[in-house]
Amino acid sequence: MTIDIEAARAAAPARPFDVRRLSRKAALHGTMILLSLVAVLPIYWMVATSLRPANDIFSSSLWPSAPSPENYRLVLESLPMFRMLANTVVMAAATAALQVLTGLLAAYALTRWRFRFSGTVHALIALSWLVPFQVTMIPNYVLATRLGLLDTLTGLVVPNAAAAFAVLILYNAMKSFPREVIEAARMDGAKHWRILWEIVTPNLRAAIASLAVLAFISAWNEYFWPLLLSRKIENSVVQIGLQMFMAQEGNLWGALMAAATLASLPILVIYLILQRQVIESFMKSGLK
Amino acid sequence: MTTIAITGPGSAADGLPVAPRALAFTARAAVPWLYLAPVLLILAVWVYLPLIEAFQLSFYKWNMLPTAPKTFVGLENYQRLMTLPDMRRALWNTLFYILGLLPLSVVLPLAVAILTQDLAGPLRNVYRTLIFLPMIVAPVVAAILWRWLLNEDHGLVNHALSGLGFDKIGFLIDRDYALGTLVWITGWKLIGFSTLLFSAANAGINRSYVEAARMDGASAWQIIRDIRLPLLSPTILLITMMTILFGAQWSFVYINVLTNGGPLKSTTNVFFLLWEYGFETLAAGLSSAAGMIVFTGFALIAFICLKLMRRYSFHDN
Amino acid sequence: MNRRSILKQITALAAATAFWPVAAHAEMAASVDEPVTITFYNYNLAAANAGADATREMIAEFEAQNPNIKVEALPVVVSDIFTRIQADIVAGQQPDVAQLPFRDLIYLATDIGANALEDMVPEAELKAHLSSLIPQGLELGRYDGKTYGLAYTFSTPILYYNADLFRAAGLDPDKPPRTWDEVEAAGIAISQKTGKHGFFPGAYGPVDGTFVYQAIIMSNGGNVRDGNRVTFGEGEAAEAVVKLRQMVDNGAHARIDLGSHADTMASGNLGMFLYTSALMASLQKSAKDKFDLRVAAMPGFGDKPTKPTNSGSALFTFSKDPVKQRAAYELLKFLTSKYAYTVITSKIGYLPLRTDILDDPQYLGEWVKQNPMIQPNLEQLDRLTANVAFPGPDYRQVERIMMDGVREAIFGKDDPLEVLAIAQEQAQALMPQD
Repeated sequence: MTIDIEAARAAAPARPFDVRRLSRKAALHGTMILLSLVAVLPIYWMVATSLRPANDIFSSSLWPSAPSPENYRLVLESLPMFRMLANTVVMAAATAALQVLTGLLAAYALTRWRFRFSGTVHALIALSWLVPFQVTMIPNYVLATRLGLLDTLTGLVVPNAAAAFAVLILYNAMKSFPREVIEAARMDGAKHWRILWEIVTPNLRAAIASLAVLAFISAWNEYFWPLLLSRKIENSVVQIGLQMFMAQEGNLWGALMAAATLASLPILVIYLILQRQVIESFMKSGLK
Repeated sequence: MTTIAITGPGSAADGLPVAPRALAFTARAAVPWLYLAPVLLILAVWVYLPLIEAFQLSFYKWNMLPTAPKTFVGLENYQRLMTLPDMRRALWNTLFYILGLLPLSVVLPLAVAILTQDLAGPLRNVYRTLIFLPMIVAPVVAAILWRWLLNEDHGLVNHALSGLGFDKIGFLIDRDYALGTLVWITGWKLIGFSTLLFSAANAGINRSYVEAARMDGASAWQIIRDIRLPLLSPTILLITMMTILFGAQWSFVYINVLTNGGPLKSTTNVFFLLWEYGFETLAAGLSSAAGMIVFTGFALIAFICLKLMRRYSFHDN
Repeated sequence: MNRRSILKQITALAAATAFWPVAAHAEMAASVDEPVTITFYNYNLAAANAGADATREMIAEFEAQNPNIKVEALPVVVSDIFTRIQADIVAGQQPDVAQLPFRDLIYLATDIGANALEDMVPEAELKAHLSSLIPQGLELGRYDGKTYGLAYTFSTPILYYNADLFRAAGLDPDKPPRTWDEVEAAGIAISQKTGKHGFFPGAYGPVDGTFVYQAIIMSNGGNVRDGNRVTFGEGEAAEAVVKLRQMVDNGAHARIDLGSHADTMASGNLGMFLYTSALMASLQKSAKDKFDLRVAAMPGFGDKPTKPTNSGSALFTFSKDPVKQRAAYELLKFLTSKYAYTVITSKIGYLPLRTDILDDPQYLGEWVKQNPMIQPNLEQLDRLTANVAFPGPDYRQVERIMMDGVREAIFGKDDPLEVLAIAQEQAQALMPQD
């Protein structure tokens, strides 16, 4: 049976809805525009300030009277900024990828099998989320030192390679996955490994993409762990770099905003790439 | 199969394969554990091991240096922390933080995700991207930007207020406004987070349900109420739970940069207080006790939340 | 020389050494003969400003003069450098030299294992170096009679003021306020006649440290503690706070966001700002072509001489290996030499710990002439008073309780003396018992 949407819509009475629909649309767009402005204002301010000279930082004019790239030059001169951005991109991407991978495996185990202690395991994974980082910071630092991970990207990634958040999000997504499809595949003799990677995962694109973005950002914003682990500036991450513009002898606000702008770009790029996956991905196969 | 099964596969009520008891020693039963191994190993080494150490340490007085003595003090560290004079204030504030954040972390993003769902192509992504922008900025930088925007002398917001004829507001100076201001900043930063998750969950809703309902003449609101909300309930409950559990922690960075708990203690919360008196000090025992308090306190709350989640969440499978 | 005088000399020497307490003296190697690497934790390097460049310059010069010593510089921001040192000691990475703020002095000496220079360096050698540094400066890093920290970068509070606002308020910018009463009057004039803020000290915020607050109360004759008894809530210390509260109540002292005080001054919205002299270069840049920025010495209470305290850092060493100790000490000597202080003052903006370079044209002579803004600061050096650190394992909490009490007394609604008394009692509970 096919559903003729167009015919159905045409059959519905149109006239009394017109005005209401128009004003509802206007309200919708109006609200969204307002929200967007509020969301964007500080970001805009960051970029605008990054172009202001030192004696104009606090002006409340919407655009600097004499915009100059001086602050960007200062940032690139004082810090190995590109190197630090690269370090951070690699670190955050690796962390996000590992969290997604380990999360997929764990979520699959929790949704597809019922075994003894599965409830306990689920609880233990979720509970790990609640352990504050100050508790783990120094003992992990001692362990990392012993393992020779000081000043390395590996050391930055490994302790965060698994995250309760990833497991829980993927668990939710997998639990909503149509059981019939999996049963059908199992009847066809498919092994679990195949089911996970060839059937379930490709259809969780939206959840995986959004998780990847959020995990990337979370790793990107890490400060304390890189602070302890990195010894040389060239090996450290962008968050450490940002702190360098705030000093006892005065804060270099313009340069800080320039560095912050540069530091936001990779995240924006990752978001733009991955958010395309967050579209309607309803099941195409198996339900016809 | 070379082993004897007591119960066959597929005999459980929900149709999941049951690992038969007698197979406890075979490879079959070990399979789920293999899938869980990476996560469990990493969590065990990098999260639970330090937690156990912290638990042990919380009963001692020690500054962590190998050459320094460890003195056993029993529950003294816990007592010290629980009877901090600011604790009551901090607990109340924590409640306010959570209540204030919920509209910004759940209600608003949910509305945005649903409202933009049906918009034509590019516009939907434009709005969602703009709403997401606060997430790309480092938290410290976000704090500083809002500090400038809300400043009484050179801040745009106060300029606008006085331009419209209102009095200037000391957003971070006035004890009546400071908490609300921090809730706003924390929430502002988070909107994109929840919107993204809701959008993803929304995308997973089977379109045919919605079309069928439309066919039946359901109004937009009815579709939302009867189809989208229930199907989004796992995510709604997850984010609500996250706000309750992490609201205090999320606002920490802003409190630290902007007000340090002031003015006059109006913005401190449980996490910040324990950080001030526990973590920030170099006393390992006190710091560990603070960590244990945060952990067990929120674990209890999480336990309650999970129970509720299980009861009310609806999985379409 | 004949045998008798040699014998006399030997006897004299024996007698002298007999009374010399042996203890842990002269463990340090006499010189560095093999290549050695020492770590140097430094927070100037963790900033993207002239301080970082100057520090790199000095380290490079040191390595050039000491080919056997390699300095591994570890930049960490000032707010986290202490945590880093502690974490590294716990992890078995013994730090050698560190630039640390003064507030941690006592804890470093008693708990973290900083080396007392008197225990490490032969007496004569130490004396030779220390005698060229101003005694008030050395006092800053002394605890229990020994020098644990060699004062390195430090500054004192000075009064920045906006000459344009002074003129607009009918005040004479060439006669800056010298006493707190004058500050009060100027503050009221500025806030009433120009609508801008009158006065604000960088004494209350979390990044400010306690040194400006301590400078104010000590100038009145009070002190934060007397041995193990905290005294910030009584006597002259409390009186000073009451004066500040009075100034807030009558509008002379501004009510602004504690974290934005420097910004408010930099944007030309504040008349008088009492804060660290280290901010000078940065404020000058912000004021360029915008307003006329000037400086004056910190104000006093009536005729009482002011007691400017210090903020900044000292150099501490932790090495246990004799060769590393020698290398560390060489670095310490170098970083407090005439050359180093010339760099520190002219390029980073801190005060020189030696006065022998001020008139010397080879060092700071010319620079001082070209930078008259440093004069009030130099003049205050005579009265430099050590910032008081707190003892005991809970020293940071004691400080916090004290500052919370001060903030509430000044910006709250209750009676300041009562508020301070309560805070004092709470703080006393965390002090070590005698």
